[in-house]
Amino acid sequence: MLKLRLRRAPREDAAPLLVPVVEGDAARFPFAAAAGFTGAAGQVAEQPGPARRLILLGCGTPKRSLDWEEAGGLGLAAAGAVPRLGLDARGLAPEAAASLAAGAALRAWRCDAYRAPGEVAPSRLDLIVDSPEAVLPRWARAEAAVRGCLLARELVAMPANRLTTREFARRLETLAEHGITVDVLGRKRLRREGLGGLLAVGGGSANPPRLAVLRWRGSVAAPPVAFIGKGLCFDTGGISIKPASGMQEMKADMAGAAACAGAMLALALRRSPAPAVAVLAIAENMTGAASYRPGDVLRMGSGRTVEVVDTDAEGRLVLADALHYAATQFRPQAMLDLATLTGAIVTALGAHRAGLFGTDAALLAQAAAAGEMVGERLWPMPIGTRHREDLRSDIADLKQCATGRFLPDACHAAAFLREFAGGVPWAHLDIAGVDTRAEAGALGGKGPSGFGARLLDMLMQMYFEDVERH
Amino acid sequence: MLDIAFVKPALPRHGALVLPLAEGAETALTGLAQAIDAATGGAVLKALAAAGFKGRKGQSATIWAPALEGGAPGPAKLVALGLGKEMTAEAAEAAGGALLPLISGEREAVIAAEALPAPIAASLSLGLLLRSYRFDRYRTTEKEEDKPKLERVSVATDAASAVKAAWAPMRAVADGVFLARDLVSEPPNVLNPSEFADRLQALESHGLVVEVLGPKEMRKLGFGALLGVAQGSAEEPRMVVMQWNGATGGKAKKAAQKPVAFIGKGVTFDTGGISIKPAAGMEDMKFDMAGAGAVAGVMLALAGRRAKVDAVGLVGLVENMPSGSAQRPGDVVKTASGQTVEVINTDAEGRLVLADVIHYCQQRFAPRFMVDLATLTGAIIISLGHEHAGLFSNDDALAQQLTAAGKTVGEALWRMPLGEAYDKQLKSDIADMKNVGGRPGGSITAAHFIQRFVDTKDGPMPWAHLDIAGTAWTTKDLPTVPKGATGFGVRLLDRLVAEHYEG
Repeated sequence: MLKLRLRRAPREDAAPLLVPVVEGDAARFPFAAAAGFTGAAGQVAEQPGPARRLILLGCGTPKRSLDWEEAGGLGLAAAGAVPRLGLDARGLAPEAAASLAAGAALRAWRCDAYRAPGEVAPSRLDLIVDSPEAVLPRWARAEAAVRGCLLARELVAMPANRLTTREFARRLETLAEHGITVDVLGRKRLRREGLGGLLAVGGGSANPPRLAVLRWRGSVAAPPVAFIGKGLCFDTGGISIKPASGMQEMKADMAGAAACAGAMLALALRRSPAPAVAVLAIAENMTGAASYRPGDVLRMGSGRTVEVVDTDAEGRLVLADALHYAATQFRPQAMLDLATLTGAIVTALGAHRAGLFGTDAALLAQAAAAGEMVGERLWPMPIGTRHREDLRSDIADLKQCATGRFLPDACHAAAFLREFAGGVPWAHLDIAGVDTRAEAGALGGKGPSGFGARLLDMLMQMYFEDVERH
Repeated sequence: MLDIAFVKPALPRHGALVLPLAEGAETALTGLAQAIDAATGGAVLKALAAAGFKGRKGQSATIWAPALEGGAPGPAKLVALGLGKEMTAEAAEAAGGALLPLISGEREAVIAAEALPAPIAASLSLGLLLRSYRFDRYRTTEKEEDKPKLERVSVATDAASAVKAAWAPMRAVADGVFLARDLVSEPPNVLNPSEFADRLQALESHGLVVEVLGPKEMRKLGFGALLGVAQGSAEEPRMVVMQWNGATGGKAKKAAQKPVAFIGKGVTFDTGGISIKPAAGMEDMKFDMAGAGAVAGVMLALAGRRAKVDAVGLVGLVENMPSGSAQRPGDVVKTASGQTVEVINTDAEGRLVLADVIHYCQQRFAPRFMVDLATLTGAIIISLGHEHAGLFSNDDALAQQLTAAGKTVGEALWRMPLGEAYDKQLKSDIADMKNVGGRPGGSITAAHFIQRFVDTKDGPMPWAHLDIAGTAWTTKDLPTVPKGATGFGVRLLDRLVAEHYEG
């Protein structure tokens, strides 16, 4: 992550200096007019000349932290391949300064673990402010969310031969150093709990399934909020195997679990008062001699039976068990699951919004509002009576998915999951279209987005940390 | 069509007698229900109790050949119909729909509706009528006993004039729904663009003003997009403009009351063109004109119930065929608005048709708002399924009105997003836009394509787009819609007008 230093004045060196400029305030830079720079959001202008590079960042009329974050991110990108840069936030509110730096840090992240060293990329940022003391607590809070997001990205970026189910669990266990309690259930305990969905999906792989339970106790005596994550370290589709083209993207099929882990880290780093628990279903869906088959009937953790129709609709099976486990073990006040669940949601909403399903209008509105705050946008989607009817099975309590052409599979999946939410207020985020950026944006380069980590952190901050409420 | 009449209560001597009963009313019969119970020496009450009939919503009980005291002639069949606790119009419609299969074996039926409020009695009749729709023009060998027998339903009421008053507009709307269903059901070798236009021309007898434009006129108007789609077919395209001047009494327009405008996609058959569709299921593509069918239906409904509104309905009618003269992927066409389109996929033809018709509509009528209906994308089925049509709009108020209207009449809409990021997916290397934006968000980018032809440069133009690809046809019976063409959109738009745009 970008190393940040708070300073009162720029260093006396040649590192480029980013200067945020709000709309209408560009006149103080004589070269701005010639460059057509007005301070409109997204504009960038660089002062020509041999001296230190001065880069103006158009901030428009910023209303929210997100506007400042995006300006910071665009500035970082405009600076290019330099090891260090300055960001002049003097004259701005401490909150704005922290957000600018957060945006820069989000944009600066890249996955370098598998490259030979040598390429220059921004790694140090001097944030120049009037009062470091005033900015520091704001930055600490912003940094927690950034680090949560970047943890999620790191996990998603890891190839499946590195991030095996065991390695994923091991990495989650290291979060204990931040005060998170981590419990990993292996095959034996999964069998004892009867989590037949997770066991079946993980059955074909040499890497065994895991259920990772992360707890942050907070300081308020209240039932926790539960985050449920789909953690398919790799998804071949199993016996219902996927086409070869594009299959490499399936290493990101654990992005939901990664986002939940990232959110837990953020809560711990900023010592959130709200209790939270993450239940992450980790497995690898492989074709193997012990793979589960289309036609199999599984007995799930809740005791219900499910007829398997398509082994590539495995996410809902592992989530169903994780939802049931979370609902019965922790009696949470709300549950949110995140999953790269369906191709249908990509057809429906593309790469700009995740699908939002659920049973509790208040929780859905809160999740959508938190998403808007951090630029991780959601769109409400329906679970209709027909969607549930389509899952009637001839042999079991329900089918895992429907068959035919033009299937509303994202809705079907949500209708399936609802059966396992146990009456707890529940929201389901289908993030299959947004887990990876196809091209660079203000808050991230091409690659894993970490979508969800900041959203969950913001959701907790906005709605579940009001101590008075409890 | 089923004949529905409102009559004074009298016990029928044959056919079916229907007892619609709210929850709790099954033990305290009144009117004809009481009369038949008395005539059978209390056998009806006993039979209902024995059948466990409680008047619950969706519940029914059938008593065959109830024996009347003294051997008097009576109904062949008694049907008790549960209405539930709260009698809403929606519940009454559903009950009416559910009733149809229970009595369709009789030639005649009497519904004992004395205890029902007039609007509820009318809604029950509407449900029954809508469910009774059947398209059997092309069955020549069906056996007599396989055909539904029901010809006449008499609704027995003491308030015939009140029920009739509530019924008249419903009946007009049902006519509109049936027109839409007929048009959608017609096979594509019969209903080609010119036949479609002829049938709309015939609506003049109902008081609509109808104009039909052919290729020559459309060429003059610069309809390059619509004509490009049509050019592969031997069938000539048409655009039909229907006007209902209900606010201005059908006379020359007085003040500048702007009309409401409905625009429909009417691809009478869609092979996909050169980007041809897979063979499996292609027969469904006869319903690719369901948007135009719904627009025709709502115009007939408005005229039928003499709605106090000025409304225009425009439909673009074409057939999309592959041929030596067909449009190719890569072609660039110029739309009537002057914007150019690179045709990437000839199977994304509906938006090309709508682009020209919407532009024309706005230029000519400067309407209060525009709502277009189209079986536009398979992606909307993958998004929402068959229970909701997709709603896209640049205007929250209009979107809410539409959603509420849809909810009331059981034609549900689900709002879908628009946004600049989606619009960008239409960027072309050679023209103003491509006609497709890729698989991700396929219905959204289609809506954005259409939105580019809604001109808001000189002020707001409220616009909504209903993607009805998933709701125009049903593969199973629904309460008020038998399997087949649904007529989706007619009741919704009629309700929108009735609620907000009349008077």
